[in-house]
Amino acid sequence: MSGEVEPAGRAEGHAARPVSGPTTLPFGPQHPVLPEPLHFDLTLEDEKVVGVVPQIGYIHRGLELLIDKRDFPDYVHVAERICGICSFMHGMGYCEAVESIFATVVPDRARWLRTFWCELERIQSHLLWLGLAADAFGFENLFMASWRARELVVDVAEETAGGRVIFGSALVGGVSRDPGDETLRRCVLAMRPARAETLRLAEVMVKEPTVRHRLEGVGVLTKAEAYDLGAVGPMLRASGHDYDVRARGYAAYAEVDWKPVVETAGDSMARALVRIREIEESFAILDRLVAGMPAGPIAATVRGMPPAGEAWIRLEQPRGEVLYYVRSNGTRQLERFRVRTPTFANIPAMVAAFKGSSLADVPTIALTIDPCISCTER
Amino acid sequence: MSAYTEHAPRKRVTIEPIGPEHLLTEAQALRGEGWRLVQILGISSETEIELSYSFGLLHEMRVLRFSVAPGFPLPSITPAFPGAYLYENELRDLFGVTIECISIDWLGRVFDVAETTPFSKVRIELPSSEEARS
Repeated sequence: MSGEVEPAGRAEGHAARPVSGPTTLPFGPQHPVLPEPLHFDLTLEDEKVVGVVPQIGYIHRGLELLIDKRDFPDYVHVAERICGICSFMHGMGYCEAVESIFATVVPDRARWLRTFWCELERIQSHLLWLGLAADAFGFENLFMASWRARELVVDVAEETAGGRVIFGSALVGGVSRDPGDETLRRCVLAMRPARAETLRLAEVMVKEPTVRHRLEGVGVLTKAEAYDLGAVGPMLRASGHDYDVRARGYAAYAEVDWKPVVETAGDSMARALVRIREIEESFAILDRLVAGMPAGPIAATVRGMPPAGEAWIRLEQPRGEVLYYVRSNGTRQLERFRVRTPTFANIPAMVAAFKGSSLADVPTIALTIDPCISCTER
Repeated sequence: MSAYTEHAPRKRVTIEPIGPEHLLTEAQALRGEGWRLVQILGISSETEIELSYSFGLLHEMRVLRFSVAPGFPLPSITPAFPGAYLYENELRDLFGVTIECISIDWLGRVFDVAETTPFSKVRIELPSSEEARS
């Protein structure tokens, strides 16, 4: 025990000294609750975490470096492969940045279809997270129920975009495929059971004492800490900030009703509630998108060399704000592509949330930021 | 009805060239005004590294931009933005930028891979601190 001293009789001839001081414990990079490698050196006093040094870098792929080895329309396929969950959003963010350099006006239907796939990815990402979190705190039924609901959503991704992971649908100038209004209407109806199941799962999360015991008051991040440490997405909104990049009005977000989901407790439960309530909000957005989907072309023609210039684009991914930067030197190979992903921004906030918590709560807190290490390391 | 609508405002980024010696002062001023750190970007050329520090306030973004020679020592902005340590360590690994007094310093091992850092496509031979200052 920290601060405990050996009885004088046992330490005869020596000055009294602590039996144990702070202990450094490695956590990860391979850990049962972590789907991807992430490492922390935890400094513990008894069971309490008093210091954390994070370590990333096990799966760096150097994707940004490929930008000048591909023509700008082809790099979309590389950008999509930054992440297997937000693949469409990564492709779309890159496209928006290139379109900004070209000053391309994307057709309305393409913007609305982009929004449809963005929200589809948000729902399936949050349900994926819910399952992983439930598995982390030992609630196997909740894990299976949330992934069963998610299956209905990824089925819709497959039907509308050709794959459970959305690749190849983002295009500089628009989108590459149009599922058609009838398919979209049918898909929204097909997801109704998943929507009802999410409400039921949300009730379990809120009322089940074992879940509340693991999440309430655990890993608290104050409103000031969340902002000062640069947290984004549900991590930020669970601490009382209403910042959501969709309010910028990119894609079709300026034309459909939606509201940012905000909680104020700043603990693991608040982060869980933000994601669960965002699932319901995203289902409602999908309804509105399909009801108001404009007719027309799905892509503008983008030809020739991009003008020299640079562009910054920010989007709201399931894990939070993502930033894309591209710089063109006037050739078909862009000079620089940069993506700052939400998990990268959330790591300092996660480290702050660890401090003062119990060692047993570290895996749960780590999961409540919904880390995506493939995104982070690129 | 047109199939095209001009939408989301795109030009809400202000780029401000500064001298590297003013970085920490400017960062502290931005912190005082409520801005948050969004990212730090590096772009390398044969002779220098262009750095862009982006700060956000709701949907506005300001970028402080300057160029330095490889190995030129820069101050850490972690006194103003405590979460900056990850970006600053990444800058060193990717581009060989020398940043002094980072609150958590991995000493060039953010990306734990076999290849030595920096990874910059333009191979940078880091000069000693004395050479960089002169």
